[in-house]
Amino acid sequence: MLDWLKQNWLLIVVPLLVFFATYIVGLWARRTAFRAFERWVEKSNWEGYRLIIEATRTPFLHWFLILGTFIAIHVSALQSAQKALADKVLASLFIISVTWVCITLSDRLLRLYIDRVPRLHPSQALIVNATRITLAVLGVLILLDTWGAPTTPIVVLLAVAILVAALSFRDTLMNFISGLQLAQSEQIKVGDYIKLETGESGHVVDINWKSTHIRSLDGNLIIVPNSRLLQSSVTNYGRPLKKASRPFRFYTRLHLKELTGLKASSLAELATMITQVPESVIYYHTHNFLEEHHFLTPEPANDFALWVSDELGCEVLGEKLASIDTFDFPTISALRTRIASMINEHLSQYPDGQKARPGREFHFVKSLSFVLPTPYIAHDLREFVEILKQVSLESLFYHMFESRLRLKRGVNDFSIWIEECLGDKDLADRLANLDPYNYTLDNLRSTIVQLIEKRIK
Amino acid sequence: MHNDRHGQSRSRLQDYEPIVGKSCIQQLRMLAEALSGKVIQIINSTFIGGGVAEILEHMVPLFNQLGVDARWDIIKGSNEFFEVTKKFHNALHGKQDTISSADFDLYLEVTRENLEEMRFFADIFFIHDPQPAALIAKKREIGKKWVWRCHIDVSNPDEQVWGFLRQFIVQYDAAIFSAPNFAQSLPIRQFMVTPSIDPLSDKNKDIDRNLIESVLTKYGLTSDKPMVVQISRFDRLKDPLGVIEAFEMVRKSIDCQLVLAGGTATDDPESEAVLDEVRKRAEGNPDIHVLLVPPESDLEINALQRAATVVVQKSLKEGFGLTISEALWKGKPVVASAVGGIPLQIRNKLTGLLCYTVEGAAYAIRQLLTNPEYAAWLGRNGREHVRQNFLITSQLRNYLLVFLALDRSEDVIYL
Repeated sequence: MLDWLKQNWLLIVVPLLVFFATYIVGLWARRTAFRAFERWVEKSNWEGYRLIIEATRTPFLHWFLILGTFIAIHVSALQSAQKALADKVLASLFIISVTWVCITLSDRLLRLYIDRVPRLHPSQALIVNATRITLAVLGVLILLDTWGAPTTPIVVLLAVAILVAALSFRDTLMNFISGLQLAQSEQIKVGDYIKLETGESGHVVDINWKSTHIRSLDGNLIIVPNSRLLQSSVTNYGRPLKKASRPFRFYTRLHLKELTGLKASSLAELATMITQVPESVIYYHTHNFLEEHHFLTPEPANDFALWVSDELGCEVLGEKLASIDTFDFPTISALRTRIASMINEHLSQYPDGQKARPGREFHFVKSLSFVLPTPYIAHDLREFVEILKQVSLESLFYHMFESRLRLKRGVNDFSIWIEECLGDKDLADRLANLDPYNYTLDNLRSTIVQLIEKRIK
Repeated sequence: MHNDRHGQSRSRLQDYEPIVGKSCIQQLRMLAEALSGKVIQIINSTFIGGGVAEILEHMVPLFNQLGVDARWDIIKGSNEFFEVTKKFHNALHGKQDTISSADFDLYLEVTRENLEEMRFFADIFFIHDPQPAALIAKKREIGKKWVWRCHIDVSNPDEQVWGFLRQFIVQYDAAIFSAPNFAQSLPIRQFMVTPSIDPLSDKNKDIDRNLIESVLTKYGLTSDKPMVVQISRFDRLKDPLGVIEAFEMVRKSIDCQLVLAGGTATDDPESEAVLDEVRKRAEGNPDIHVLLVPPESDLEINALQRAATVVVQKSLKEGFGLTISEALWKGKPVVASAVGGIPLQIRNKLTGLLCYTVEGAAYAIRQLLTNPEYAAWLGRNGREHVRQNFLITSQLRNYLLVFLALDRSEDVIYL
């Protein structure tokens, strides 16, 4: 034995030297490479690089140990069959190490992203384990292939299983991946006010691994699959604006016409009855044309002016009555007085007026208002303007016309809220000074929306 | 959609949303909720024929879809009874007719029979027109709220008939008229609710051009010539002879054709005689087409209205004149008499043209036939006016409001 060592000491020493030399090169290479990598990582914002460094630092050395062993064996005097067996063992160790690194790295990277999506927490173990199993199976397959075991049927079987699973859970997978992308990009966050290209809008209340939940302004919950959200065009208005001290509840108002049975066939009768009928009647006849033909023309005439011109042929008086700007009057009582005095002035000059034809008399109608709350509540100007775009024209009518004059608030509801609850007197005044009678209702809505959007830009 | 008793497809409430808007449907739901728990019994004289049955056919299912328990019943009566009520109808319109005490007795007798046979189970009884008006006698026994819906212009009625009916009307809690000038002085509350059309019914829904062409071919009409159309029952009050006269004036200078199309209702025994008169008057003029259309031909009526260049409604008297809204909804320029509820639908020179005479009608038709752009502008305005005010959803809303108003007297009601 001793003789054999004396004669063949080189056969042992050279492989050992090669092994240690490779190990030392490995130590040097790891130090150099990782230092360079760390310098580069410092400039990058991605936290994942640090995880890569942590996960590969120790295995890197193991790989050089395996490499050293491999070279040492190949420079040794071992027989070919022994070398082939050693190659397989070393390859297996390398595959096991790389698989282990991949599993560790995927675990850490997944946890990094899952931590950013709170609703993914319950599914964390499931996702991590699924990834571990996938990588382990891949490692085993490669290992089997290294030892010459028949892996093709297993690979085909696995491929089919994966394909079926991918097809079955395609949408879920897409939503999951999209959820990760949303989380990474941070373009949409809980609390943001967003508007989808389909017109739906609201505050983001939740983002989970399948979908994003949006609370619309009328209180409905809109659930949008993450993949759809990522593919569609979304306007993100960001965080809410200054919150009002009291939210604005939108109401709507429906009206019913109640017949009074009263009718006038001459100017004198008209003037007398105007002073006697309830305020609801005056309100009806000064707003009826606007309500029924609001899409046709701004500056609607009141019913008195139309009847006096069309039926009695008093075009001068008709023009005067039509020129009464309802906006100038804070109360119906003041409006009534003005209309009656205008007719009486005319009567004092032309007492013998024409009478209406039978069947064409002026019929006094009363407006009954039914006020209903809508589901829309605004907490800030952004919400307010978005709701304003959606509410019915009846709602607009109620807050801009009815509340100011009929409910004797003097100013429209919007101005009152903006001044009292948001403290924006300038915007409140602009709305208060807007004469709504000069617009069709659609144009009035657009004008108010423009004023507010300009303010919150 | 599913089918009603005539096999027509019945619309769901949400089908109206693209036409009237989401908020309108929301409002209806809120009103219906405020009315929950109440049962409404609707009573009229026929399930088929005429504007009342037509609108109820579509409205009752919509009430139910809103969650309002509305049920529709009709009174039973012999032909003699309906001849009497037709006389009442004409008399309320102001037409002189001989009505004997036997006629009144028959009316009361049939009412008594119906009072005995019918079940009265509602919280609100919604009675339509004079035929079942005397059922109010039941109120003394069972109480509840009673509303009389008058579809007729009773502004200048025959005093004898009105006096007879008035004794019943004043016992109601409220009456509903289609226009302010239709009403009478009554000691009960009176509301105004205009009737309406259903935009999704066979009569008003959008239809294919091929279907229009096939209807024209069926009736021997051609789309090569401008077409003046009046759709209404053959009734003297619709003045079909006046329409022919106006057409003949127009035809002197413009090559066009006239279509008078209409049907008969089960409660209108006079229709056949009027139809004969019209046919005789049109004899020998190949440009005048008199078409008797059975009640089930709504798609054909729709096609004829859509094929029209100008739609005419030259009524001498009119309840409301739903055919005006039908034509306006199809974007057609309309020439109509300024009677009954027509001025509510046509604001002269803004949503159509009003006339008072045969000559005026001829002049307006000529204006529209020679100025197609003006005609189209009027048509567009008219369609929007109908969308805002005369669709079935508006009427549904107004009826719900009336039911809600029955228990309240204030002018501003917070629900």
